Amino acid sequence: MHSDMFVVRHSDSGAAHFIAEQVTPNVAIINAGDGRHAHPTQAMLDMLTIRRHKGRFEPLSVAIVGDISHSRVARDQIHALKTLGCKDIRLVGPNTLMPQGIENMGVTTHSNMDSGISGADVIIMLRLQTERMASAFLPSAGEYFRLYGLTTARLSQAKPDAIVMHPGPINRGIEIESAVADGPQSMILNQVGYGIALRMAVMSMAMSGQMQQRQTQASKSSSLIGEKKI
Amino acid sequence: MRIIIRGARLLDPNQALDCVADVLVRNGVIEIIGNLTDTPFDGHVDTQVNAKGMILSPSFVDLNTCLRDLNQIQKGTIASETLAAASAGFTHLCPSPDTQPCSDSGSVISLIKSKAEAAGFCDLLPVAALTKDLKGAALSNMESLSRAGCIGFSNAGFDISDNNVLLRCYEYAATFGLKVLVQAQDEKLGSGHMHAGPTATRMGLDGIPIIAETLSISRHLQLMQHTGVEGHFNQLTSAQGVALIRQAKAQGIKVTADVGIAHLCFTDSAIKGYRSQYHVQPPLREELDREALVAGIKDGTIDAICSAHQPHESAAKCAPFAATESGMAVYDMLVPLIQTLVDAGELNWMHAIVALSSNSASIAKNEITGLTVGKRANLTLIDPNHSWTLDEASQLSHGTNQALANQTLKARVKLTLKQGQISYAL
Repeated sequence: MHSDMFVVRHSDSGAAHFIAEQVTPNVAIINAGDGRHAHPTQAMLDMLTIRRHKGRFEPLSVAIVGDISHSRVARDQIHALKTLGCKDIRLVGPNTLMPQGIENMGVTTHSNMDSGISGADVIIMLRLQTERMASAFLPSAGEYFRLYGLTTARLSQAKPDAIVMHPGPINRGIEIESAVADGPQSMILNQVGYGIALRMAVMSMAMSGQMQQRQTQASKSSSLIGEKKI
Repeated sequence: MRIIIRGARLLDPNQALDCVADVLVRNGVIEIIGNLTDTPFDGHVDTQVNAKGMILSPSFVDLNTCLRDLNQIQKGTIASETLAAASAGFTHLCPSPDTQPCSDSGSVISLIKSKAEAAGFCDLLPVAALTKDLKGAALSNMESLSRAGCIGFSNAGFDISDNNVLLRCYEYAATFGLKVLVQAQDEKLGSGHMHAGPTATRMGLDGIPIIAETLSISRHLQLMQHTGVEGHFNQLTSAQGVALIRQAKAQGIKVTADVGIAHLCFTDSAIKGYRSQYHVQPPLREELDREALVAGIKDGTIDAICSAHQPHESAAKCAPFAATESGMAVYDMLVPLIQTLVDAGELNWMHAIVALSSNSASIAKNEITGLTVGKRANLTLIDPNHSWTLDEASQLSHGTNQALANQTLKARVKLTLKQGQISYAL
């Protein structure tokens, strides 16, 4: 059976890349998240959200908060933000969740939440997997929320018109307070909506080459048939 | 039988020999070193090599290699891998004990030795398991294994986490003057798939921090010093690791160390694009580590260069990076890799021959034959200018995990003599 498109989510970093190396050249591979490496459509929909609500990227201060170490979303957001010209990208979290050498991607790291989000235009909260407590990255959800949870009080450290984003699904009361998640500065539902449109666009673009190829083949074969008839 | 090698550059670190001369080997023994154009001799010459521009040195001894075979013939056989080793200039190999079944009994040791003997390309000086089945719990029959021809004891890539067991292993080995070999990497900290650093972070792969190596080296060094056992570290990877060995030697601890050729030539950036051929354990680290390893060879902190050859079948490397098996097939590219270091001005051939031949032979307690008249000829002749392509037709190892496959390489072994016999000729 020949598939035209693979949409791949896999626990191994590089899995989509690996599949792309194995298939014939005209098959589209869409990376829907591989390990801790990348989640390109999430990063693109996040950039769309920021562009829609904040405009240009150059003057923005963006804080990404939480489990950077295990996050494919954070890595791709950094990559996208740098590509679009954002100069102030801050990563906020404890040392146990901060991967070695991440500064090489052109970001600053902050272990203090208040100073990390101070004056930020955009705050992106990451989902905290509860297994991080069992594997000794963090002591408890309670302590994490106290130190890094986004509350209404804490949000006041950021710019008054700052937007709050989250790739979802959210853990209420662990990384984000319900009042913030459902509050006026939250873009979480907008992100979901943009995600549908963006992924439709990605699929359409990825398939367009193949559609063209098929149309060319179809017109070639019909003209051949036509010649024979003549 | 007579073999004449004419006009090669002779390099022998043991005699500080570096000159151009002819060499006559008769009936396996070096008979003449000098100018043979004027020396009359009678009779038939079986092999004659015009070796102008080539390098003739004592043959190489490999302190760390995996030859597979037994239950892993899909990866390689002792016959195929010892031939590949001979084509890299080796005559003596110290296979790692992580064979399947593991090298913890006299029967496995005699089986692998007899297979190598039947193939005839290299002699084995096996390293046996330090603990039974490499489990890190019970001592292996070290004294008996030593009598069976094992030159040392190692737990290969399996860390012994129980200090009580490790202390007893070293005490027992020290009792009988046996050598222990260590691949220093903490088991838990070493559970990742590549060096922990910016590249691993960007690629989203689990990293192995340098402290996985340095903690382990410090721990083993203290136990070596405490027990007085003679220790050797296999495959150093980091600048900090080299510094610890340098410090230990300065303190007079009886310790030696080697580095894998891959770690001298490649860094973690080679993995970009999830190139599983560069998935090795211990991991390739950063450029400053590679430079420190080269400096360690030059100043003698690192005594030897090993191959760390680990052939694999293609399926072992065909998966997302973390799911692939670690290891690189090294023999087919070893001499060209040395040549790249020489061409880059990082090492010269004398450094390389000290590390591949005289030092590794003395660590393996093998008789250093050298370029001496009257000795059995264990020699390697290298053509440093030979240009060739490493591909399926030219490679000799069964391993398909060739990092430099289909690339044009420079330098190749022309001839290897083991105990006076030709074990490899190009």
